[in-house]
Amino acid sequence: MIRFENVTKVYDQKARPALDSISLEIDRGEFAFLVGASGSGKSTFLRLVLKEDRASSGAVYVAGQNVANISSWRVPRLRRGIGVVFQDFRLLPQKTVFANVAFAMQVIGKSRSVIRDTVPEVLKTVGLEGKENRLPHELSGGEQQRVAIARAVVNRPGILLADEPTGNLDPTTSMGIMGVLDKINQNGTTVVMATHDDDIVNEMRKRVVELKNGVVIRDEAKALYTSMIPVVGQSRRLRDASGRDEPPVVPPRAGTRAEARAEIRLAGEGQA
Amino acid sequence: MRLAFVLSEIGSGLRRNLAMVISVILVTFVSLTFVGAAGMLQLQINQMKGYWYDKVQVAIFLCSDGSTAPGCATGPATPEQEDSLRKLLQSPAVAQYVNDFEYESKDDAYKHFKEQFSNSPIVDSVTPDQLPASFRINMKDPEKYEIISETFSSQAGVETVIDQRQLLERLFSAMNAASLVAVSIAGVMIICAILLIATTIRLSAFSRRRETGIMRLVGASKMVIQLPFILEGVIAAVIGAALASGTLWAVAHFFLGEVMSKQYPDTAFISPGQTLILAPALIGLGVVLAGISSLLTLRRYLRV
Ligand SMILES: Nc1ncnc2c1ncn2[C@@H]1O[C@H](COP(=O)(O)OP(=O)(O)O)[C@@H](O)[C@H]1O
Ligand SMILES: [Mg+2]
Repeated sequence: MIRFENVTKVYDQKARPALDSISLEIDRGEFAFLVGASGSGKSTFLRLVLKEDRASSGAVYVAGQNVANISSWRVPRLRRGIGVVFQDFRLLPQKTVFANVAFAMQVIGKSRSVIRDTVPEVLKTVGLEGKENRLPHELSGGEQQRVAIARAVVNRPGILLADEPTGNLDPTTSMGIMGVLDKINQNGTTVVMATHDDDIVNEMRKRVVELKNGVVIRDEAKALYTSMIPVVGQSRRLRDASGRDEPPVVPPRAGTRAEARAEIRLAGEGQA
Repeated sequence: MRLAFVLSEIGSGLRRNLAMVISVILVTFVSLTFVGAAGMLQLQINQMKGYWYDKVQVAIFLCSDGSTAPGCATGPATPEQEDSLRKLLQSPAVAQYVNDFEYESKDDAYKHFKEQFSNSPIVDSVTPDQLPASFRINMKDPEKYEIISETFSSQAGVETVIDQRQLLERLFSAMNAASLVAVSIAGVMIICAILLIATTIRLSAFSRRRETGIMRLVGASKMVIQLPFILEGVIAAVIGAALASGTLWAVAHFFLGEVMSKQYPDTAFISPGQTLILAPALIGLGVVLAGISSLLTLRRYLRV
């Protein structure tokens, strides 16, 4: 669904590249975490998928199409196939929940009756039934993020990109959001989520792609936030190799953040 | 749906930027009024030129009923006198200075008079008898007016010989200079208008960056995103152009029609209706101004 071939992105000639010759494939229907420290290139990756920026070299394929070959007047069509949510929700403060979600349909010319039918359905999917007429400031952070997710998926995109969607939320609320994203993924949408929330990653046990300074240093299936295998500093696909045997770690649902860290440290010491 | 959406976006944009929109309206109004004033001066010049101005330089007016000139002692010019004047015009001595000449009968004169003074009350009080017949002469060299004047002034049946150009040329050059000043001021004002419209669109795009950001992300087309901003500028410019057109009409109606035409009853003024032919041009110019500014602005501030 998303394929990067030796993609490099240089914003500033003097600085190191934001992405450095990344090769990566995310299949249709997959759920992948993009993890790594701030500045490691997660957002840049997502922006390239959206054609918000152009790769300096290499090719980005979305749904089989090289985005470099999409002419500017057809970029909107590419974006209709991709939903996006952000850490800061980006809701329109003067519009109700219903209107915020409907906005995404209005601007691409959907008819009033289709909007009337679809929006409540999507709001139900994200667990916001009965809150259609609230304004964003009358909602909790988690509820606001649910509105943003509803808006991102209301046009039924094949891909959902989430850039630190739980960055502003407490752990319990974050897990609720993850439930929604998981449900959307179950319905067949490919989900790519950039995050540095270790609890969530550990809890979900999905594919994890770790970036560091613009390089993929790990790509594991059903993985944890921090690698349980020695980092060998390569950008090849490692997940098939590592995915077969479960990493020797804490059982997923038990770990709190502190415990997970402790375990990881212990594991690390063990290996050292 | 999309149209309704675009319209509601325009409405909210205009309301949000009301002060800027009003200033755009006023600047286009003032600049287009200057453009229109130049246009009106040209229309007025055409009106004053009348039927003959561009065709001939010299007019030989023949005696009519009330003529008091010495050559008219025998009353109105007779057909014989007209014939001998025509022969004189065709004689080699005169013909070498003349390209062409035409005879204007009293009825022709009345017809042309009615056309030129169609906007003046004077037209009702004039009859064909009061207007002299004339020979209208197109000179090879307009400077040789004196020769015609000397030759014909003393002929029987001639009331007077007039060099039409000399009467009006000075006035027209003053009016042309005024047009030029108006166009220059208009040029400066138009630059103001373009910059102001560009600034307004930029502010508008800035104040709605949240909406347009979301529109981009969900895949709204460039047209849906940009059209509200373009139309905002266009609507403001068109309102300005309409106000300018209204002002020109009012000037023609109240100033020329009520004041000037009473003060100068023997001058032909343009009618208020004639100024309205400038309106489509002004509105078109307003649309072009707004279009240029939008193009300049949106390319930079509303990238898709
Ligand atoms: N628009 C930009 N202009 C210049 N540099 C940028 C821009 N966006 C990101 N960068 C740089 O690229 C690198 C990766 O940034 P980003 O992709 O935002 O990382 P992350 O989302 O993982 O925090 C950082 O060093 C950042 O400073
Ligand atoms: Mg980021």
